[in-house]
Order: sequence, then structure tokens, then C-alpha cells
Amino acid sequence: MGVSQHENRQQPAVSDQSGAPGPMTNAAVSVSGLSKTFWRDGRPTNALHDIHLAIAPGEFVCLLGPSGCGKSTLLHIVAGFIPPDDGQVAAHGGLVTGPGVDRCVLFQSPTLFPWLTSRDNVLFGPRSRGMDDEETRSRADALLATVGLADFKDHYPHQLSGGMRHRAALARALINRPRILLMDEPFAALDAITREQMQNFLLDLWQREQMTVLFVTHDVEEAALLSDRVCIMSPRPGRIVDIVDIELARPRDEALRDTAEFVALRHELRERLAGA
Amino acid sequence: MSTGSTTEAPGVLRSSSGTSRHWMISIASVIGGLIVWQLAAAFVIRDPVLLPTPIETVRVLIRYLTTPYPSAGETLIGHALISLGRVIGGFAIGSFIGIAIGAMMAGFRSFRAVVDPFIEITRPLPPLAFVPVLIVWFGIGEAPKIILIAAGVVPVMAISTAAGLDAIPREMLNCARCLGASEWYTMIHVRIRAAMPQIITGMRLSMGLSWTSIVAVEMIAATAGLGFVILQAGQFLDTGLIFAGILIIALLGLGLDACLRRLQRHLDPTMKP
Repeated sequence: MGVSQHENRQQPAVSDQSGAPGPMTNAAVSVSGLSKTFWRDGRPTNALHDIHLAIAPGEFVCLLGPSGCGKSTLLHIVAGFIPPDDGQVAAHGGLVTGPGVDRCVLFQSPTLFPWLTSRDNVLFGPRSRGMDDEETRSRADALLATVGLADFKDHYPHQLSGGMRHRAALARALINRPRILLMDEPFAALDAITREQMQNFLLDLWQREQMTVLFVTHDVEEAALLSDRVCIMSPRPGRIVDIVDIELARPRDEALRDTAEFVALRHELRERLAGA
Repeated sequence: MSTGSTTEAPGVLRSSSGTSRHWMISIASVIGGLIVWQLAAAFVIRDPVLLPTPIETVRVLIRYLTTPYPSAGETLIGHALISLGRVIGGFAIGSFIGIAIGAMMAGFRSFRAVVDPFIEITRPLPPLAFVPVLIVWFGIGEAPKIILIAAGVVPVMAISTAAGLDAIPREMLNCARCLGASEWYTMIHVRIRAAMPQIITGMRLSMGLSWTSIVAVEMIAATAGLGFVILQAGQFLDTGLIFAGILIIALLGLGLDACLRRLQRHLDPTMKP
């Protein structure tokens, strides 16, 4: 199943490296020597400074840090929305030069298109590339069923609850079979109960689909629960100051949150974040 | 009994009865206005040249639906169709140009800087002021009439299109791009689509504007049209016919606005009941 999916995947929107020295090619995402400065009113803000990061295929990595540390900027550069000033980003060996279907982004707000039903939202990606066959449509229905929205496929976004909108957005991303999911504080605006549901849902999905995930958050517990590795970032200039391996066994579930091991880990992450 | 309707609060029931009540109030208000007009004209002013009664106005209107005015000219239906043609022609051309300019304003900052002053200057100018120049430039045919209407529509459409396109969150465009949509597809299917409700609001405003300039337009050597009828009837103190013409303009304006409002509701699912 997993193998055949790989064959069906879209070609990434990246240029050939043509033998240039640089990013390691076996990494899903590799960031090297990346810097970014924003100018506002003639004054520079050093958003990111000399970032190096390699993410293995299938790995779940969190960027953890206070607001303003450049973690969202880093994610947006990996997504290809903004170009870096220095350094480069590669996805599966190809240099990132713009957005591509191999790297799908989920934002803090679900950003569903309000004039489309859930189903038409999910079909947006394929349709924009001229794919609107029966197979694609039945895949959309299957994905909506996976995210628990089978009965809501003809509803418009404003008729869905917050959690439902996020699940619809997830289905819309998954229909492209992205190899890398980039998530920018996707659950930050949800209430605590819905957030926990979405976290468990995401873990489930990640385990099944074997995707690489880069996840931005300022929530220590969220980072500890989800990731294989947590990159702790610090602002002015934005940089990665610490990388923590999370050794908790998988699959992880509800019960894990209350174990002594988890509480200790959470504590340690918090300490390191404060020391950053 | 009276508390019954307020206590059974929830959702659909209350809102639908609320809307129907609004309707009743609006209809009552129109009927009330007509009654005041009738009473004032029949018992206070008592001079049909100064103010005809609504009943007299409707009688005149019905008479001229089949009788040509002036005797060698069109019936009111003919005049209405001619004016409607000019309004829709000018509105369509003006909307097209205005939307194109607005889209360019939203896309290119420098273009906005270039056209902004012209839009700000032309927007408050009365269409009447341009009549003499337009006659010099374009003669007295249909062209200056349609151009005059279009000229009023362009700045309104440009501003509302640019505002609609500006209002779309960056994230939504990024989202479309990373889902695989090309820049061109994103422009058409996301950016312009998301701005549609606001563009149609601009259309509703400029449709009203087109009707307000129809009288000025038909001062340009017109021999037919509702504006022409009103001007002509004014010269012969035929006040009933003036009001009949005004009434038809009002009804046509309402009808066209209802079409646009329906289109707006169709395009904006959050407005659906």
C-alpha cells in the first residue's frame, strides 16, 4: 500500500540540483546555512540566522519557540512561499524554488475556500491541475470519510465546527499525497478538547501514511507528545539553539500525557526553552 | 399569548418569522407613504400641476403604455426599453473597464499610484458637467450617452474591485499555491472568486448610479427614453407624466438590483438561509 502510493505521488516542484554541492540527498527536508532578514521602515529584523536542519523521511519534527523566533518564517521558506536571503532548502534532494504539491502546508486557520463545499474544497488541488476524473472524486469521498466528514461533504465551511474545518483542510492537503506536511501552529486556535482530538488524529494519520512532518508550535506539551525530535528556537536572531530527541514509545495515546516519563520530559523541554 | 413568540427562541423559527415581520413593516411603510401622498395631493395642495395624486400618476402611466408620447414617438414601454438599453450598455462597458482597472490596481502598486488620483478626481464630478464636452467629442448619437453612463461606473467598479481583491488573506493564496494551483488559476479561481461578493456590491452601487445619470444622458439631443420623456413633460407642465416616468425608473432600478442581489446570494454561501 505504502509503496504503491509512492509511485503515484506528484513530481515535486523543485529544480534539479545538477551536482551542485549542498544538501544531503537522502533527507526529506534539508536546510543549510539559511538566513532571512526582514526590513521594515528601513530597520532590519534578523528573522533567521544560519539555520541548519536535516529531517529524515518519515520523521516528525517540531519547531518549538516563543512568538517572534522565526519558526513560522522557517516553515514558510521550506514551503517555498518566501525565498531565503542566504542558504538553501531541499526537499527529497531537489532544491526548493517555490510552492509544490510534495510539500503541503496547514495553517493556524483552516483557510478553506468559503464558497466551496467540503468536497469541492478537497477536490480543489486536483481540479486546479485538470484532474477531475471519477477516481479522484471517489478518493475525495474516501478521504472525507477518513477525517469523519462523510455526512458533511456538501456543507459549506461556515456550517462546520472548528475541528471539522481543520479535518476538512487536512483531507484537502492529503488528496495530493504530499510526502511532507508542513504545519504552522495548526491547532493553536482550537479549544483544549478539540485540540487533543486533533493531535491524536494527526498521530494516527502520520503513522498510517508515513509522511514527514515539520510542525511549528509554541506549546511544550504538544511538541513532546507529537515529535521524534524537537528543535528549540530562540529569537533575535532566530536560530535553533537546542535539539531534543523524544524517546517516548509509539504509538502514543491519551494515557501517555499523565505518565511520569511524559511529565518529566515536558519539564525538561520547558527548562531548555527557558534557558534558550 | 404575546410571550409565546419570544420564549420559543431557537434558531430558524424566530429568524424566519423575524424576516416576514420586516417584510410586513416595509410593505406597510410603502402603503402609508402612498396614502400620505394621496391625501396631501388631493386635499392640501389640490393642484395636479404642482403634485398629481398617486392614482392619477398610475392612470397616466397606464394610458401612455399604449399611447405614443409625443404623438409621433414611442409608448412608455418603448421609452423604457431604450433607456434600459443605454443603462445596461453603459453599465456593462463601465463594469468591464472598471473591474480590469481595479484588478490592475490590486496587482501592481505603481499602477495604483498612477490611476488613483484620476479616480479620486472623477468620482465626485456630476455627469451633467460632461454633457457639452461629450457632444463636442462624440456627437449626438448613442455613443456619448453610453460613454457618460460608463464613465460614472468605472471609478466605482475600480475601487470596489481593488478593495475586494486587497481583502483576501495572503494565507488563502499561499494555500492555493501549495495545493498545486498555478498563479493564473489562483488569480481566477481564488482571488477573483473571493472578491466576487464585493465586486457585486460595487455593481449594485453603480447600477443605481447609472439610473441617476439617465436624465443627464438623455439631455444629449435624445428623441426617446425615460429621461427624454421627463424633460419633455416638464416643458409642458405635464406633471403626471413626469411622475409616471420617475415611477418606471424606480421600478426598473429595483428590478435590476433584485437580480444583482440574487446573484450575490448565489455566489456567497454564507448569505444562504
